[in-house]
Amino acid sequence: MSKNKEEKRVGVFICHCGKNIAGGVDINALLEHAKQLEGVVFVAENRFTCSDEGQTTIRDAVKKHNLNRIVVAACDPALHLATFQRVGEEVGIDPAFTELIDIRKWTMPGSPQKVDQEQALENSKKLIQQTVKRIRLKRVIPTVEVKVEPSVLVIGGGIAGVEASLDLADKGYKVFLIELLPTIGGKMALLYKVFPTNDCAPCILAPKTAYANLHPNITLLTNSEVMDVKGHVGNFQVKVLKHPRYVDEKKCNADGICVEKCPAKAPSEYSMGMGERKAIYIPFPQAIPHKAVIAPESCLYFQKGVCRVCEKFCPTGAINFEQKPETLELKVGAIIVATGFEEYNPSEKKEYGYGRFSNVITQFQLARLLDIDGPTKGKLLRPSDRKEPENILMIQCVGSRDEKFNVYCSAVCCMYALKHAQIIKHMVLPDAEITICYLDMRTPGKGFEEYYTHTRDLGVVFIHGKPNEVREDPKTKNLKVAVEDTFLGESIVFDADLVVLSCAMVPAEGTRKLAEMLRIEVDESGFLKEAHPKLRPVETNVRGIYICGCAQGPKDIPDAIVQAKAAASCADSELRKGKIMLPEFIVKAGKTS
Amino acid sequence: MKEYALFLGCLIPARLPHIEAISIKVLDKFGIKTKDMIDASCCPDPVVMKSLDFNSWLAIAARNLSLAEETESDIVTLCSGCFSTLSKANHLLKYNAELKGEANKLLSEINRGFSGKINVKHVVEIIRDIGKETIERQVKKPLKQLKVASHPGCHLLRPSSILHVDDPNVPTIQDEIVSWVGAEPVNYALKMLCCGVGIKMVDPEANLLLLREKLANLKETEANCIVTPCPFCFMQFDMGQKEVSRKFGESYTFPVFYITELLGLALGFSPEEVGLHLHTTPVMEV
Repeated sequence: MSKNKEEKRVGVFICHCGKNIAGGVDINALLEHAKQLEGVVFVAENRFTCSDEGQTTIRDAVKKHNLNRIVVAACDPALHLATFQRVGEEVGIDPAFTELIDIRKWTMPGSPQKVDQEQALENSKKLIQQTVKRIRLKRVIPTVEVKVEPSVLVIGGGIAGVEASLDLADKGYKVFLIELLPTIGGKMALLYKVFPTNDCAPCILAPKTAYANLHPNITLLTNSEVMDVKGHVGNFQVKVLKHPRYVDEKKCNADGICVEKCPAKAPSEYSMGMGERKAIYIPFPQAIPHKAVIAPESCLYFQKGVCRVCEKFCPTGAINFEQKPETLELKVGAIIVATGFEEYNPSEKKEYGYGRFSNVITQFQLARLLDIDGPTKGKLLRPSDRKEPENILMIQCVGSRDEKFNVYCSAVCCMYALKHAQIIKHMVLPDAEITICYLDMRTPGKGFEEYYTHTRDLGVVFIHGKPNEVREDPKTKNLKVAVEDTFLGESIVFDADLVVLSCAMVPAEGTRKLAEMLRIEVDESGFLKEAHPKLRPVETNVRGIYICGCAQGPKDIPDAIVQAKAAASCADSELRKGKIMLPEFIVKAGKTS
Repeated sequence: MKEYALFLGCLIPARLPHIEAISIKVLDKFGIKTKDMIDASCCPDPVVMKSLDFNSWLAIAARNLSLAEETESDIVTLCSGCFSTLSKANHLLKYNAELKGEANKLLSEINRGFSGKINVKHVVEIIRDIGKETIERQVKKPLKQLKVASHPGCHLLRPSSILHVDDPNVPTIQDEIVSWVGAEPVNYALKMLCCGVGIKMVDPEANLLLLREKLANLKETEANCIVTPCPFCFMQFDMGQKEVSRKFGESYTFPVFYITELLGLALGFSPEEVGLHLHTTPVMEV
């Protein structure tokens, strides 16, 4: 540890990063520049500073030249700062006195910030100069030991959130699993089947959700949302608002009598508008908790002050119209955010007529129609006349890979379109003609390409081209889809009874607000941003807060589970010792805020 | 009362003067005056001329705009093509200093200049802005027997980010006016399909195929006439029906109205004043 009046001896290490830096800037000129800076007593270059050899160079130089400050000019601090701080610590240098600065962004081929040789030299010189000056002025930030709460808050009860909760609960942590809706299970519960196994989605999900409900270490908070978060890793204080269910969960036995007797109907959120539910309802057969819930906005008593029929008929007296919103205060050591996605609303893509033409639906809506527990009990009936469609046309990349809306590839749309085509061909309407208009079929996953091939073998027609227009016959409500088959170079007009739009995944509503509350970053598409896209994919810019599932970006179920387990593991690593070292100012700020 | 500079373009004065006549009369009924634009030239054409020589296209449009600027009145056009050229040019010249500079350099040779103080409107917009109540109050002969398929055409709506006339995918502007004069708007699948006239000079065959597709679709509906805000579309439907019928051995006889003709009839002008006797496809219903 260096004393205050001690001479500041700075070592500057310039990395070639192979050719990534050396190919875009004159390393010798940088070395010469660094050498003459005040306080610099040693300079060195390395082909790969991050390698074992490079690290040894730093350690040796510190010992030999009595260095007490390290400046590494290489890549993004998010990538390797921790590595070099550890190297410094090994030879007695406080982490505050090791700096990594990114000069590679100006030189690396393909970098958005790349500039020419001359400019790169200029920028790098300046950055090295400023950093050397700064590190000479820096003082050690005092750290203190903090006890951590052995508990975790998981926000979002979809498959990712449930998986992370179960992992942590099994490790012995107390888990608070918060879900905004009255049931956990998320979007996966509504998929009917999942690719590439064609397993029934609820069947493979329900054991997990049911266990999450029963696990002694998990406290399930449905109908609840996070209102405020304070504190720091190891000791977050979270304010949660639990909205009333108007049904006593302890008394309700889910016999469904109230649902049967309830006279008020509303479009069901769980059938994506394809069916109705009552004002009191159980979201779906595998809902957890498997209890009734009243939606006040569709309930006659709440809207008009009359009715209370459910209360009259409930044999267990579970209905409670007097329930009030409750505020809970939680203390947790870490937070996992798994708020998931929503389906892109394609009505702004006017040429496809969604919202105007009743027989244009989305893939999520199709999933609900195919589901044997869905609004049509698994019969595929088109909305306009409830007849079985003979010609079904699917349009890929709606709201994704489209510079007007979202540029990203939504990763799962090719596969779920194939899945629905297979279900229709195998189980629902084997004689239906299915056409899929696509830009590229993207099936990079285990067993996915085989799944695609099998779909082709079933007779599904694939057209390479993005339809430019869907037209409706106002009388028959039949549709015509105009598309250029770019393989044939011909314009084709397809007749379709049902058009299904394969829509992008977009971040769930409220993601940005929650991110602001947690002080974590979002990316340019509104998804939660990881600390580093390759090396720290589930950590965030805030220590102790982790992300997983589709809140981080579009992905399929296995990837969401992998991330959930990774996030749980990260939280475990952080909390495991029961105490952590934290900079004093963070702890102080946490106490006063 | 507002006075507009009336930009006629080429087609209306040369081949469809009755559209000019009835449009002036209809606007006058609502207290909207028009004045001729002396020395106005071709707009010029928003497709061919613009593609062949953009700078000249812009300069000629700028000259036409400058004529209206001199009299400090907004322009009204009866033709969707003229509307497209003048609106787009006006927009480009107002918001792109470089283009404005180039155009003004050319205009300075004839002692003119573009300053950017007027707007360009299509007559359909003006009728819409007159409003439902005012128009309904003035209707003397509601056109109850008409089931009208409206053909919006291409250049009235796009590019919507500049023109802002109506939703470019789901336009309702003409249907609204149709219902104000007591007629019934009819929706149809190929409403947004081009009439075909734009490619007539390049590919006369494709031109007729497009028109036929549109007419065949109309025949499946209960529509008994067509209305359009564009003189080119008007001519295509009015004269082209005969050609399509002959060529394909089918029979299409939809009466075709320019939008102000429909208003003219409803406001009580006689068929002769409206100019129905000048149509190629006979207008029997009225």
